[in-house]
Amino acid sequence: MQDTVLVVGGGPAGLSAAANVTSAGYKAVMVEKEDVLGGAPILSGYAKLVPSGEWASEAIGRMVKRVEDDSSATVHKGAKVEKLDGEAGNFTATLTNGETVQAGSVVLATGFTHFDSINKPEWGFGTYEDVLTTTQVEQMVASGKIACPSDGRVPERVCILLCVGSRDRQIGREWCSKICCTVSANMAMEIKELSPETDVFIYYMDIRTFGLYEDKFYWKSQEEFKTKFVKARIAEVTSSGDGRLLVKGEDTLVKRPIVIPFDMVVHAIGMDPNADNPEISQVFGVGLEKHGFLERAEQYTNTCGTTRKGIYACGAAYGPETIDDSIAQGAAAGGRAVADLHALVQKAG
Amino acid sequence: MATYAEMQQIFDDIRGDFRYDHDLNGCLNCGICTATCPSAQFYDYSPREIVQLLWTENVEQIYDAMQEKIWACAQCMTCAARCPFKNSPGGLVAIMREVAIKHEMQSAKDVLRPFGRVMLKLITTGNQLSPDMIQPDHFPDWGPNIQKVEGDLQVLRKAIPVKTLQTVETAWEVSLKTSVEMYTIWEMTGVLKSLELMDENLFDVIEDFIDEKREDYEDWLEEQEEEDDE
Repeated sequence: MQDTVLVVGGGPAGLSAAANVTSAGYKAVMVEKEDVLGGAPILSGYAKLVPSGEWASEAIGRMVKRVEDDSSATVHKGAKVEKLDGEAGNFTATLTNGETVQAGSVVLATGFTHFDSINKPEWGFGTYEDVLTTTQVEQMVASGKIACPSDGRVPERVCILLCVGSRDRQIGREWCSKICCTVSANMAMEIKELSPETDVFIYYMDIRTFGLYEDKFYWKSQEEFKTKFVKARIAEVTSSGDGRLLVKGEDTLVKRPIVIPFDMVVHAIGMDPNADNPEISQVFGVGLEKHGFLERAEQYTNTCGTTRKGIYACGAAYGPETIDDSIAQGAAAGGRAVADLHALVQKAG
Repeated sequence: MATYAEMQQIFDDIRGDFRYDHDLNGCLNCGICTATCPSAQFYDYSPREIVQLLWTENVEQIYDAMQEKIWACAQCMTCAARCPFKNSPGGLVAIMREVAIKHEMQSAKDVLRPFGRVMLKLITTGNQLSPDMIQPDHFPDWGPNIQKVEGDLQVLRKAIPVKTLQTVETAWEVSLKTSVEMYTIWEMTGVLKSLELMDENLFDVIEDFIDEKREDYEDWLEEQEEEDDE
């Protein structure tokens, strides 16, 4: 079965990998544990994507359609790989739906898990109805209306707290989730577009709108949408008693503690390692790095490699990643997988 | 005003403390410590400022902060519980206070003087506070509501059902053995040495008292042995 690549995970990275495998004339078998393809952008109902500005349902939808319409691609939804035997060039995967798949290479595009804000109780999620996560507000934006869940009113003041579940040794999350700064700047603009009377404040430790995101998101959100950036990590979110939320922090540039009222508080939640990673590590025999993401092989000459020969990885399985870079890495991993199979066939022939 | 060399020495003593590297990993300057600090709400004190001064080795400003600011900390350690970098600003303040005492800084003496009575109470009774200390004229900074507790304390304490708490000069009874063990701890951990540096007169009073108590304890032990022999 040296003409088949098994792709695990049907998000942006996996969809990209599968498409690249079939473009090269090989067969792709995709296994997705959920009942729909598309990964986090579809499952969590993202609104407009960064940086294209396209609706997630349309952009990722095209990727899904490309694979589902592909006669060289087979898709197993609602299934997981429960066992993997063999070695590079000749793997046999047993799926939870009873099927077996013969494949020469495996691409792990197993992604991440959103941070669960319940793990930072002092920031009010789960206690106050009007404390939301970025994924919830994405859904709100996609539905076309910004409203406080408690009573349906349009919020006058919204704040977004950055680094929720990121850069926090207290809860064992020492990484930067990479995308939240840009996503939050983008979200501030989306909120203002839907509700021009709403003012948006962003509380940050550092702003990491890296590369070309600087002016397209960080500057634009200030210049055109009047988003206010305050350098403060919030200590706690409480209730004022009149239905509003109180946000307590230190404005570190002005150097005094502050308590500010808001109608809605949004947690810019970070990217955790996929909660299934311990299982994935065991089933596929690949290592995890210290934070719990998949361990990357030597990158310079074993690009997209894992600790096991013949098994490749891409996207947020390796660590927090943007959608665009996940797609690029998926294409790279798919390319690696077929190139190595091609080399095996040449050698045998 | 101290010379630069003296200020540098003070900083070196702070940095040389064995807890220093454990309490200071760097600083992300997020401000969560100051946001959550009860003292920062009321005083010109910011745990983030303390951390930043130490991390950037600003010896002049460190010396300045040791004049008054570091004594505003209540040592509640909420800052340490919240810091995303797992620093302990409160722990650093504790080190700075000990160094201020070691260097016999006048500011430390001034700040600590009102606590002399508490120290005396602690050494002589094993309690930091006792009901008879809560009087309107003793703690004017406790505000006007202190008058609500004025009255015949002896009678008021009788209302407490626990017998050992029906005292006025002490909060509760502390046994002689416990007291003597406490003296040993204070001696070995340098508390008594610190006291000597800050307030020599008080130290003399307390030292005499400790000697007396230790003799009482020796006598008591001998009595016990004699009783056993009988």
